[in-house]
Amino acid sequence: MSSVLDRPGGPSPVPDGGSETAADLQARAPRRPISPERICASLTLVAIAVIAVMSLIDLNISLASIGDSLGNAQNFFARVGGLRFPEAGELIELTVLTVGLVLTGTLLAAAISVPVAYLAASNTTPNHTLRGIARFIGVLTRAFPDVVLAMVFVLMFSLGTLPGILAIGIHSIGMISKMFADAIEQIDEGPRLAIRAAGGSRSQEFFAGVLPQVLPSWVATVLHRNDINLRGSVVLGYVGVAGLGLEMSHAFKSLNYGLGLGYALVLFLLCVAMEMISSAVRVAMLGEKEAGKGVFVRLFSRGRVRSGEAAVQKYASVEQALRRPWTAQRVRNTIAGWLAVLVVVGSVVVSDIVWEDLLTFWGKVPEVAAQFWPPDFGSYGFEVIGAAMIDTIRIALAATLITLVLSLVIGSLAARNVAPNRAIRDGFRLLLVIIRGIPELILAIVLIIITGLGPQAGTIALAIGGIGLLGKLIADSLEEVPRGPERALLATGASRMQMYAAATFPQGSRALIGHTFYMLDTNVRAATLLGIVGGGGVGYYLLNAGQGSNYPLVASIVIMILVTVLVVEGLAMWMRKVFR
Amino acid sequence: MNPEPVVRIESLTKRFDSTTALSGVDLTVGRGEIVVLLGLSGSGKSTLLRHIDALETPTSGSISVLGQNVPALRGRALRGLRSRVGFIFQQFELVGSLSVLENVLAGSLAGLRGPRLGLFSYSRAHKLRALGHLDRVGLLDRAYQRADTLSGGQQQRVAIARALMQDPEVLLADEPVASLDPESSSQVMSLIREIAADDGLTVLCSLHQVDLAIDWADRIVGLRHGEVVLDTTTSGLDKAQVMEIYGRVATSTAEIAALETGLLVAEPVA
Repeated sequence: MSSVLDRPGGPSPVPDGGSETAADLQARAPRRPISPERICASLTLVAIAVIAVMSLIDLNISLASIGDSLGNAQNFFARVGGLRFPEAGELIELTVLTVGLVLTGTLLAAAISVPVAYLAASNTTPNHTLRGIARFIGVLTRAFPDVVLAMVFVLMFSLGTLPGILAIGIHSIGMISKMFADAIEQIDEGPRLAIRAAGGSRSQEFFAGVLPQVLPSWVATVLHRNDINLRGSVVLGYVGVAGLGLEMSHAFKSLNYGLGLGYALVLFLLCVAMEMISSAVRVAMLGEKEAGKGVFVRLFSRGRVRSGEAAVQKYASVEQALRRPWTAQRVRNTIAGWLAVLVVVGSVVVSDIVWEDLLTFWGKVPEVAAQFWPPDFGSYGFEVIGAAMIDTIRIALAATLITLVLSLVIGSLAARNVAPNRAIRDGFRLLLVIIRGIPELILAIVLIIITGLGPQAGTIALAIGGIGLLGKLIADSLEEVPRGPERALLATGASRMQMYAAATFPQGSRALIGHTFYMLDTNVRAATLLGIVGGGGVGYYLLNAGQGSNYPLVASIVIMILVTVLVVEGLAMWMRKVFR
Repeated sequence: MNPEPVVRIESLTKRFDSTTALSGVDLTVGRGEIVVLLGLSGSGKSTLLRHIDALETPTSGSISVLGQNVPALRGRALRGLRSRVGFIFQQFELVGSLSVLENVLAGSLAGLRGPRLGLFSYSRAHKLRALGHLDRVGLLDRAYQRADTLSGGQQQRVAIARALMQDPEVLLADEPVASLDPESSSQVMSLIREIAADDGLTVLCSLHQVDLAIDWADRIVGLRHGEVVLDTTTSGLDKAQVMEIYGRVATSTAEIAALETGLLVAEPVA
């Protein structure tokens, strides 16, 4: 370390002297270092931003045009004659079936994710090769859209719920195993070490040292993924998976708009209800703090007792202590446990699985696989399909851009350390909760049906839906920055905006880049699905090819989607690495 | 003492909920004085310093800094006063992911209008001034490094350069060397002293090392449980005398043990 005091000649006295000292200073000042990789990454970011702006212009999204089309909504409803609903019995049956298949699929993914996560976590994996394989399984299953999987499975199985369960079960492994592995990597190593020191085996280490620590976070992950899958189930209906989504797509195809919108409303309410239930369970398991402070959370958390305050009981003898006392806590835990078992068994029962299919379908695999190979663009040619893929990317970029701009404003104002006062912060947090409750695909379907616009309506739906997620992530990461630099700038006399720009934002910017790419990633997947419900892009061709049994075309479209998703994921990883 | 004091505090009391952090503190500091606030942690040193920079509102009492009635200041006038008073923190409080130069430039924000982000948003004159201050603290060569790649002592010198960007008349330092090793500590302390002499700054610095305080300051103000128990010039003062004063008021064994080591660190056990 260079010492101030030993410096030859000593530090120069007053810096803002004549021009001589300025010139001298410039001569001695270091050059601004240039990192080629950083410049490349910055240029890439700028390029992506420019393309996103151009996409926004090309898609011709303006508030005026959307406003006009929404003006048509009244005419539309006048023509359609309002919402219609199916009979109550049928509705309940469909709802139970939908929830059951989504839950079963999510649980299947969770079960497969446990060993995958064990192998993928750096602290539990036996070796590098297995770790690499496990992580590859995660990336691959995440990259395959569940709709595509469902299309393939619909071919192999008799109609029913099994294709949906398997599609959800396989696609969800990607996210669940990643978050499971993250949880394992964050555990306190102490208990594991203690078990190893006591001569425990590897499996004992896992069940006694690792599992108890990660279980609450694992349950939260599964519940979170279940919400996402319920929202996604609507699109599965469009490719033939039984449930509310299928009935809705039938209604729209037979131009029975009133009934279709009725189904959409039911799905929307179902998503909101599921979100409320899962936040309540998260609160009960994790305590209020970790679960966040949503409106629903507060509703359920009143008067809940935290763990670990059981009364001390005196025993007369050791034998007496053998019987575990039925404390209020134990009663509650036991009831919750049996309820969970009931829900799991119930969801498997109601999803009406044709178990024989699981045995017979292996025979069909080679036959079906052969139909997909070799990939081919068919009569459309690469130009048409390629252009559609580019449309999809444009929709994703434009939606991400709108989401980012709005989320920066809303998310910042929802952060405790940025909002000028408590009321504004709470107001914007509430707004984010409300937006998060809107399932974006259902919003897209409704907007497309009502306004008659394709890509524009789809983009708007994705953009609005994204604010709920990105806005929350931005607000949270701004609240997590160290507060010292803000205080230091407050002490210099800087204004609120100056503190935000010079201390809060720069500290949150790395997380911001990561979150924005996560959003883009999500939007690319969602945009491919948009086409299936009439929102433009490559999804339309995917649906047509699937329904017209043009499997080589399905294969080539899937490969294009996979490549796009992997490129976005790679870009995201690169950006996170460069902008540390 | 100068006719017009830089800091004039009269019967300042500050209560946080049930605890009293400061009770009836009187303190007058003249221009160019180098004052150390000495005391155990929890004795009210930080709270007193924060009141002088208008970062706390007093429960009662009056505070006048640079001729301004501090508790009455609002908005622009409040930020105006803060910009004339530099503040050095124990934990440096730099933005680790930004360059050293950007951190120094942030010290000039009060004199600029609107938010700034990135080096390009500051004028050439500002950048030259910031580089000059970095040169002064001996870290010109580090201008473009990330702040979190520097050692603790270097980071504190960057924080001093940031405070210098304010062209302060008063410099407040809250335990500036408490997180540093002895060598870095002595560098930082001599640097503050040197700058204070060159620029004619008034300095109030909180410390808990009695030896360092006597060597370094012109005047020592001792605090205990939020009250001033000692206010004396350091000329001719030795450690034993200070210890004796603290010894007279020390009531717990923990306090006495702390005094014996010459460090006023441990919070007395009630």
